[in-house]
Amino acid sequence: MKRLFIMLGLVLLSGCSLRVLDPKTSTGQDQANLIYLSFGIMMVVLVVVFVLFALFVTKYRETESNQNVIPEDSAGDRRLEITWTVIPVILLTILAIPTVQITYDLASTDAESEETVHIDVVAEQFNWNFNYENGKATENEVIIPKGQEVVFHLESADVVHSFWIPQLSGKTDVIPGEELVQSFTPQETGTYQGKCAEFCGSLHAVMRFETKVVEQDEFEDWLDNE
Amino acid sequence: MQLPLVGDIPSDVIAAWVLSAVMGVVLFIFVMKKRKWPLIWEYMTTTHHRKIGTMYILVSIIFFFRAGMDALFIRMQLAVPNNDFWVFQGDKYNEVFTTHGTMMIFFVAMPFLIGLMNVAVPLQIGANDLAFPYLNAVSFWLFLAGGLIFNMSFFMNAAPNAGWTAYTPLSTDGFTSGPNNNYYIFGLQVSGLGTIMTAINMIVTIMRLRAPGLKMTRMPLFSWSTLITSLLILVAFPVLTTALFLLTFDRYYGTSFFVDDPVYYQHLFWIFGHPEVYILILPAFGIFSDVISNFAKKRVFGYTSMVIAIAIIGLLGFMVWAHHMFTVGLGAMANTFFAITTMMIAVPTGIKVFNWLFTIRRGVMRVTTPMLFSLGFIPTFVMGGVTGVMLAVAAADYQYHDSYFVVAHFHYTMVGGTILGVFAGIYYWYPKMTGKLLDEKLGKWHFWLFVIGFHLTFLPQHFAGLNGMPRRVFTYTTEDNVFGFNVISTAGAFLMGISMLFVIWNIYKTHKKTDNVGPDPWKGRTLEWTVASPAPEHPFEPMPKVTSIDPYWYGKKDNRELEVAESPRPSPIAVKTAQPILLAGTLMVLSIGFVYHWIWMQVMAGAGALLFLIWRFFTDERIEAYRKEEER
Amino acid sequence: MSQSTSEALFKDKRLGFFLYLGVEATMFATLFATYIIYTPAPEGPAPESVYEARTVILASIFLLSSSGTLLVAESGLKDWTLWKIWTGIGITFLFGAIFMGLEVHEFYKYAHEGYTIGANNFLGSFYVLVGLHASHVLFGLCWMSLLMVQLKKNAIPRALFIEKHKIFNYYWHFVDVIWVLIIIIVYTPFLI
Ligand code: HEA
Ligand code: HEA
Ligand code: CUA
Ligand SMILES: [Cu+2]
Repeated sequence: MKRLFIMLGLVLLSGCSLRVLDPKTSTGQDQANLIYLSFGIMMVVLVVVFVLFALFVTKYRETESNQNVIPEDSAGDRRLEITWTVIPVILLTILAIPTVQITYDLASTDAESEETVHIDVVAEQFNWNFNYENGKATENEVIIPKGQEVVFHLESADVVHSFWIPQLSGKTDVIPGEELVQSFTPQETGTYQGKCAEFCGSLHAVMRFETKVVEQDEFEDWLDNE
Repeated sequence: MQLPLVGDIPSDVIAAWVLSAVMGVVLFIFVMKKRKWPLIWEYMTTTHHRKIGTMYILVSIIFFFRAGMDALFIRMQLAVPNNDFWVFQGDKYNEVFTTHGTMMIFFVAMPFLIGLMNVAVPLQIGANDLAFPYLNAVSFWLFLAGGLIFNMSFFMNAAPNAGWTAYTPLSTDGFTSGPNNNYYIFGLQVSGLGTIMTAINMIVTIMRLRAPGLKMTRMPLFSWSTLITSLLILVAFPVLTTALFLLTFDRYYGTSFFVDDPVYYQHLFWIFGHPEVYILILPAFGIFSDVISNFAKKRVFGYTSMVIAIAIIGLLGFMVWAHHMFTVGLGAMANTFFAITTMMIAVPTGIKVFNWLFTIRRGVMRVTTPMLFSLGFIPTFVMGGVTGVMLAVAAADYQYHDSYFVVAHFHYTMVGGTILGVFAGIYYWYPKMTGKLLDEKLGKWHFWLFVIGFHLTFLPQHFAGLNGMPRRVFTYTTEDNVFGFNVISTAGAFLMGISMLFVIWNIYKTHKKTDNVGPDPWKGRTLEWTVASPAPEHPFEPMPKVTSIDPYWYGKKDNRELEVAESPRPSPIAVKTAQPILLAGTLMVLSIGFVYHWIWMQVMAGAGALLFLIWRFFTDERIEAYRKEEER
Repeated sequence: MSQSTSEALFKDKRLGFFLYLGVEATMFATLFATYIIYTPAPEGPAPESVYEARTVILASIFLLSSSGTLLVAESGLKDWTLWKIWTGIGITFLFGAIFMGLEVHEFYKYAHEGYTIGANNFLGSFYVLVGLHASHVLFGLCWMSLLMVQLKKNAIPRALFIEKHKIFNYYWHFVDVIWVLIIIIVYTPFLI
């Protein structure tokens, strides 16, 4: 148990460097906040259970002296049982409300402006093809502007894939015959890993792409040139 | 079929052939030397629940080692970044995790539990056997046939490679045209048939063969969980059967159900798949309830709410399947609906957790090996459960989904719940199977190494997942920053592997040295401890009369023997028959015919299977019994 | 013992068989759902142009009345009136066989007109669903012939024969109910 807590502590310290918990978009931030909230609630549950567990296990052992004692039976206790029905319900309600809110929020795309960048993404075994509105195309690399809403239109040429840039947003499946969209507004320049998250065959593991978030004028330049 | 040239066969397959051949020869010599043929024949033709249960468990242990070896290959390949361990990259790796997951769920965890049900349930409720002994033998041999079909694939260098979920269109012939996933389909269909029949058998046994006075409200919790699990099987498995049936049409007969609509496949799979995970956990809950109450020397706290909780978990289990599909774009409404129903399951599960804890409270707890496994289970499973609730937060699941966070979650529940439960059950009921008590010291070694290894393996995977490591990948780079998590995980896996060697040692030692124990080595509470160890055929003659919950315990406490009642009904009829094993063999041949598209074989084996039904029709063991009655 | 052997074992078997029918029902329910989802298909043959009312009506008449004729056999079982059992089961077999013939004819005709199983998902789900039902009828026919052989040979105890016959009756009525659902869900919406 002790070892476990030490490890937990260590990792928590480095927690902020875990990609999912260090998001660079507000979408990702919403998701990270939910993760923190649920983690907090779960810690409460874990602590309660662990404490009771440790208490009972140490206290009610068989020893030399009580070997032949037959403990008194108790068939149950209405009050206690109601307690541990109601408290979880309360905790879950606290969790459910933001869950519903944020799930709905993320489903509605923001009011799109003229500037919004639309990118058609075609996933195929085992490549990502990105097509910009002006006909520009890239493979396994996508360049997007900082501070601008980007909408990815996801299509598959063969099997199910899943579009995932851990530091920018959660994943969206890419399903043949159905177009799903994912959108977010990157807030920091940099290069982020993109991955295929749904198992799609031999080289699923290396079906990756790079996401480069650059300043807007740089993006414009890049888009118009070459 | 194109036979690959010897040069083309990967070295792992060759190694497997050689290893199996050597082990086969050793086994053969052993059996010859010890003259065990009559014993083997006895088991091959038996319909007795204890013997069948023992075979279930024996086979599951073997399969556990097989699937555990796959796990070790997975962990070896993932130990360091950009690794090239043996052959396990690309498709080979995909084959390994598919086999690992499928084997563990269908050919390890389920048959382990079914084996324990076979051994314990009739004894717990005062039945002289399962209601349909013949059908029980059929179930077992079908399970084994399915397992052998599935395992054959590896030896033919054609292991399934589409994941244990076999998502379409990847699993259709357009993308995986070889025999690989045919093996998956037919292995699961054949063993699934066996599972369905077992479930029917269990329900009828529990509904109709209880000892007089053993009302449903006095039934031990393991029997209760068996009843409810069986009901879940009856609803969930036919859906899997149908999904695989449709997939067969896609692969064989030119339809395109799941090519055109992959999401429909996912729905069908998870309508089966989610209840399946509760099929895996509820019997384990039952085992823990019985074990904890036994060794705390107290009746279980809140018996009624324990039963109601199992039932509610089972019911809710059918309303949450889409939490595996949050990212396929079902829309916010569906996602939030399934998020909330999923979270609701935490409530009845929590009730059970606290009831276990309060069973211990004010008890006098004897920490034996089965109890140790139950104690290890409580914190471990709760950790797995709460990560489940975190996964249920739909918007957050967009991040967790298909990452190692999910891998960590389900090993915490399945290994920390089901497998620990199975171990507890095996140590606990071992005397009822074999008459001997496993060594306590080695058992404790097994427990500690296993649990420590377990947490080492799977705790770091949460963080690997949060750092963006997807599941089902055979490699990662240094920049991914998940090396530390993975290497710890690999070390832990080997620790678990070592702990399993203690099980073998233990079994060896126990059978070499010790004598049989009496009927009641654990100071038990329920009826199974009133009968001899190992359980004889027709143990309940005369039939006991039950007047309370935990009847044996209260009898002992008041220093009285259990009352004897007139048996209210005839016992099920046992037979010695080789029909079940032959039937299973025929279905195996039939499946191979399908796997390789050999139509002549399909026709012949299909006809053969029908002939078996006819044979059975004319050789019913009831004929004798009914005739005797007629003459009377 | 308060219960006779045959009585108790029959009750076990009946409960087990009902549970088994529940399993079958779940399978058919899934296939009905599949049919509903895929019908009509966006492309390829439409159900209206495929189905033909005449065969469906004929087939239904025979299969549904075979459930009625089976009742004759059932009433014969009660007081062991051999002629009733024989007529009941004989006519049921005959009607079942005619139904099978009509089904084969129907499938053959559709396939001949180019409406094959792979044409689109509507036809795929149609063939799987109705085909599975037809194979149940075929299985029932084999079962009935075995029952008739046993009745003729008179080699098993009467209680056992009655038990086997009753179990078969449940099966046959179940298959009939599925056919009613097929009429309602598969054919009717596209025939009127
Ligand atoms: C034995 C198996 C088992 C069990 C018991 C569970 C139990 C649960 N599981 Fe798990 N799950 C799996 C096996 C299991 N799961 C598998 C195999 C997969 C992956 C399949 C695949 O993709 O390959 C999976 C995947 C999975 C997902 C999908 C993840 C994804 O792919 O994106 C989700 C999402 O909601 C989920 C949720 C839950 C929940 C909420 C529970 C709950 O039942 C847990 C309830 C228990 C507790 C919560 C702890 C005790 C309660 C208390 C102490 C009371 C207080 C608690 C609170 C107030 C929170 N599981
Ligand atoms: C009941 C179910 C069950 C059980 C018990 C286990 C047990 C283990 N699992 Fe499994 N696992 C699954 C069900 C299960 N798993 C499922 C469903 C999947 C998903 C598959 C998919 O994606 O399709 C999965 C996937 C999965 C992955 C992810 C693969 C991927 O996504 O790429 C990993 C990775 O670490 C893993 C590891 C392990 C380990 C280390 C164990 C250990 O507990 C195993 C321990 C046992 C042994 C090690 C026994 C062997 C012992 C010997 C052979 C003796 C010799 C040993 C030595 C000398 C050391 N499992
Ligand atoms: Cu594409 Cu995984
Ligand atoms: Cu689930």
